[in-house]
Amino acid sequence: MAGAPDRGLFHRLMNIDRRVIFLIIALSVALPILLPLNLPIGASREADAYYEAMEALRPGETMIFSFDYEPDTMAELDPMSLATLRHAFRKDVRVIALTNYAGGAGIAERILHEAAEEHGKEYGTDYVFLGYNPDWSATMLRMGESIRRTFPTDHYRTPTDEIPLLAEVDSYANVPLLVTVTASALAEYWVIWAGGKFDQKVIAGATAIQAVLVYPYFQTGQLSGFLGGLKGAAEYERSIDVDGAGVRGMDAQSMAHLLIVVFILIGNVAFLLHRMQGRRGG
Amino acid sequence: MKKTGPVILGFLVGTLMLIQFFTPNEWIEARYNNVLDWKQVVFGITLILGVISLFVYHWKKIEKRSEGWGYSVVTVAGLLFMIVVALIFSPERGPYPWMFDHVQAPMQATMFALLAFYVASASYRAFRARSFHAALLLIAGVVVMLGRVPLGELIGLQHVSSWILDYPNLAAKRGILIGVGLGMVSTAIKIIVGIERTYLGKGA
Repeated sequence: MAGAPDRGLFHRLMNIDRRVIFLIIALSVALPILLPLNLPIGASREADAYYEAMEALRPGETMIFSFDYEPDTMAELDPMSLATLRHAFRKDVRVIALTNYAGGAGIAERILHEAAEEHGKEYGTDYVFLGYNPDWSATMLRMGESIRRTFPTDHYRTPTDEIPLLAEVDSYANVPLLVTVTASALAEYWVIWAGGKFDQKVIAGATAIQAVLVYPYFQTGQLSGFLGGLKGAAEYERSIDVDGAGVRGMDAQSMAHLLIVVFILIGNVAFLLHRMQGRRGG
Repeated sequence: MKKTGPVILGFLVGTLMLIQFFTPNEWIEARYNNVLDWKQVVFGITLILGVISLFVYHWKKIEKRSEGWGYSVVTVAGLLFMIVVALIFSPERGPYPWMFDHVQAPMQATMFALLAFYVASASYRAFRARSFHAALLLIAGVVVMLGRVPLGELIGLQHVSSWILDYPNLAAKRGILIGVGLGMVSTAIKIIVGIERTYLGKGA
């Protein structure tokens, strides 16, 4: 500002134009995608447990997969959904899919069909998409009684009584594993309603923010495994030997996290020096 | 009766739901399924109410030419367009899934991705160690942020990050969960026996 007193380097540092910060973040995310660093990806306990739970399924068994998210978090959650379904179909595990979000139907269709086509799976016998049902708590509870009654038709309006897969499987009792991939607290509710009331084994994929909230359920064993954020997806992709968007995103996420930490440090150093300068000045 | 009726109904349904959890009785099980059916019907109706409310709110803004009414035109047009194409072509094929894949999904993903930029800017400006507690929070945040990406694993931060998540984080989260659980139980009991009546509205 013209005529404003120069309050020193630290003051200027504390008031960097936000567009400069935006530009640096954009570069830190874009460059590692274009020029991968191939940083090593370790495996966490929770991702190992998730993989083991999937591995324990035998060919011909059926799992429930719930797409509990909408497009806002698909960059973080799509990789774990796709990897899980690839793993299931590779093992000839059958899949009953659903979503508890209206906006999740489009995502579920795309990922289900992509994974099914890769492994030559047939709709109706190898997998089915039940679609969206209003009110998640009632859906979770009623599925314990009867899946066909909870969803009288599938997403494509075929009566569920006519779907071969559902003729054999109609409640949690016939399902050894339930997977939820979620950006909200639904992992907790699957644990409470399906796990607590019907003794259903549950594993979950969650955004990095939600991962902190589902941690207690993993430690108590109520959740048999979980993937936290894109890092969890990358760990799981490595476990099944199919690198996807999770692994590809790890370098970019590492750089973005590092940069935010550097910003925090610079901001704090500038803040402390500015405060000391102010005290000395009087 | 206007106040007593809902309290009696709350008592009967609340007690029934409580009993059904502990009994395999078929009659009670059937009533429990009825309640779940009604719950889904009520939920469906609230969705319709939400759409009508959204429409009326934006329609009024357009009529009065209130500030930002142009955005309301886009909202109403988008709402009507999606309803009409879903009714004509079905939600599974035609323009409806195309609009979802090529308009809604990229827009929602973009909005969420923008958070990274705002978080970076906000962390630079606001995340200050102004006190001992703020410094503790800041250090824990930095360690967990780095420990959750491959770069942090290179310097062994994942162990410290896991310790923070396993102990201090879990202790706090458990305390909150137990508190919330006890609160829910006490509120449920108060509603069943009619002590808690705020759900009936003012003056109940």
